[in-house]
Amino acid sequence: MSQAPVVRLQNVTKVIGKRTIIDRVSFEVRPGEVFGFLGPNGSGKTTTIRMIVGLMGMSSGDIHIGTHSVRTEFPKAIVQVGAIVENPEMYKFLTGYQNLLHYARMNPSITKERIQEVIELVGLQDRIHDKVKKYSLGMRQRLGVAQAVMHRPKLLVLDEPTNGLDPAGIRELRDYLRRLAQDEGTAVLVSSHLLSEMELMCDRVAILQKGQIIDVRSIRGQDGDAATLEEVQFDVDHPDAALGIFEGSGRMVDGQLALSLDRAGIAAINRRLVEAGINVYGIHVKTKSLEDQFLEMTGSETIG
Amino acid sequence: MANFMNLIQNENMKIYRRVRTWIMLGIIVFLPILISLGVLAASGTDAGSSWSMMIIESTISLMLITIFTAVVASETVAGEFTWGTIKLLLIRPWSRSAILLSKYISTLLFALALTVITFVITLLINMAVFGSSDGEQLSSVAGMSNMEYVLQFYLLQFVSLIIIITFGFMMSSAFRSSGLAIGLSIFLLFAGSIITGLLAMTDKPWVEYILFMHLDLTSYINNAQGPFQNHPMSLGFSLGVLAIYFVVFNLISWSVFRKRDIAA
Ligand SMILES: Nc1ncnc2c1ncn2[C@@H]1O[C@H](COP(=O)(O)OP(=O)(O)O)[C@@H](O)[C@H]1O
Ligand SMILES: [Mg+2]
Repeated sequence: MSQAPVVRLQNVTKVIGKRTIIDRVSFEVRPGEVFGFLGPNGSGKTTTIRMIVGLMGMSSGDIHIGTHSVRTEFPKAIVQVGAIVENPEMYKFLTGYQNLLHYARMNPSITKERIQEVIELVGLQDRIHDKVKKYSLGMRQRLGVAQAVMHRPKLLVLDEPTNGLDPAGIRELRDYLRRLAQDEGTAVLVSSHLLSEMELMCDRVAILQKGQIIDVRSIRGQDGDAATLEEVQFDVDHPDAALGIFEGSGRMVDGQLALSLDRAGIAAINRRLVEAGINVYGIHVKTKSLEDQFLEMTGSETIG
Repeated sequence: MANFMNLIQNENMKIYRRVRTWIMLGIIVFLPILISLGVLAASGTDAGSSWSMMIIESTISLMLITIFTAVVASETVAGEFTWGTIKLLLIRPWSRSAILLSKYISTLLFALALTVITFVITLLINMAVFGSSDGEQLSSVAGMSNMEYVLQFYLLQFVSLIIIITFGFMMSSAFRSSGLAIGLSIFLLFAGSIITGLLAMTDKPWVEYILFMHLDLTSYINNAQGPFQNHPMSLGFSLGVLAIYFVVFNLISWSVFRKRDIAA
């Protein structure tokens, strides 16, 4: 857990004109972690990603990839990064293969065999010698992923990668990213305005609103500290009596006793109810989805 | 870091894998052939000497090459913005200067290729059609052979071409739309030479510092005073002025491109 972060943002700020578009954003992504960058449209996800990959300058703050600053040692920093920023735009008058060759020539570590390997990895072998202008959006996404992972980057950055993918494609991408993180230790940074996708894909998410990070939280709870409390309802025969026992912490919801608990807490409460002679017919865990939490935090802000 | 030649190879691929480029090459190859054969059909082999035909065709082709290379130069950077590919191009272990340089060099190589093709085609077709006898002397300078004249003609034309490319290239880094960059470059080149032609009639001395006063360098071969009667200049002066424009255009291209935020 004490592994050095692959990418570290420190108080990154972007001012365009008089508007502060990104305001002191700081976070880091560790090796093997899938990190979600979540926020409504216009919250600044793409702008932040552009700064990470050096397409835009920072007004203040700094970004390091490994030990190299994107500001001062750009080639050394960026060689460890693969990315798709917004849509995967390719040279339409070239074939898929020529597009990959183009980017492969710019990186000394990529062999012809490696190009072939990623083509098969993204499943484009049958169409790779077609001109990109004949590709569907899904195929362009695949080609985009291929160029991003060709040089085995330590950090993979994907900006809204599920746009234009069908549910099967999204699932495939999700599985691929998880495997990449687990097997190769790649740090993956994905942005999205779709909460449901992030929940399934990510270990942690940062929630961005109007250019500021308002929360960073674990999703998969592997961090120990993040054993999140959940709303648990107990279906009992004497709810009033039960509520009496847990005065202060308990509430009455739909005629059931409701409490905020972690896993161990559920067992403890159940034992106390039974000891008090109250029959428990059912225990329901109301997992608060990230979506609910997100809506709570960002208020009535529209999503998507 | 990897070999810089790879970047030039990439830029060449993006020039020569386009249908547009092959149309340009086709025109450059076949136009002189058609003109020579047309003259032959109309008036027989006595119509002209092969050298004067070569200069006529070269002048026409080089004018087209000026437009073609201005188009390619104007699009080389702006096109990447228009296509959105700039976002993938610039996230590689190369400085922006290196990428810009590779684009500049490949555009110059394209101009060089078209120019050499024109030289070879116009020479061969006219020798084949009108014979290789020396004919009348092209230059009014005593003792200058026709081959010498033609070589100087091409060299000076290529110098102008370099400046045109540098200008188009500057437009390309300055604008994010390739349509705008191409349109504006071509428009400014034409409007500039017309307006300068008018200005040259006045006797204001500052006129001699306008770019377009110095793009017709071939006039100096026969006339040491240059193309404008009432503004006598020298080849050295013209080259000096062009050198200043060359440096300024490149400074603008590089400083704009190196600093700009990529928000395509
Ligand atoms: N080049 C720019 N100039 C001015 N404002 C910009 C520029 N790029 C983005 N913005 C503004 O910055 C905010 C964040 O945009 P963006 O990063 O694209 O958000 P997201 O990717 O989260 O949808 C938006 O309000 C947008 O209007
Ligand atoms: Mg965006």
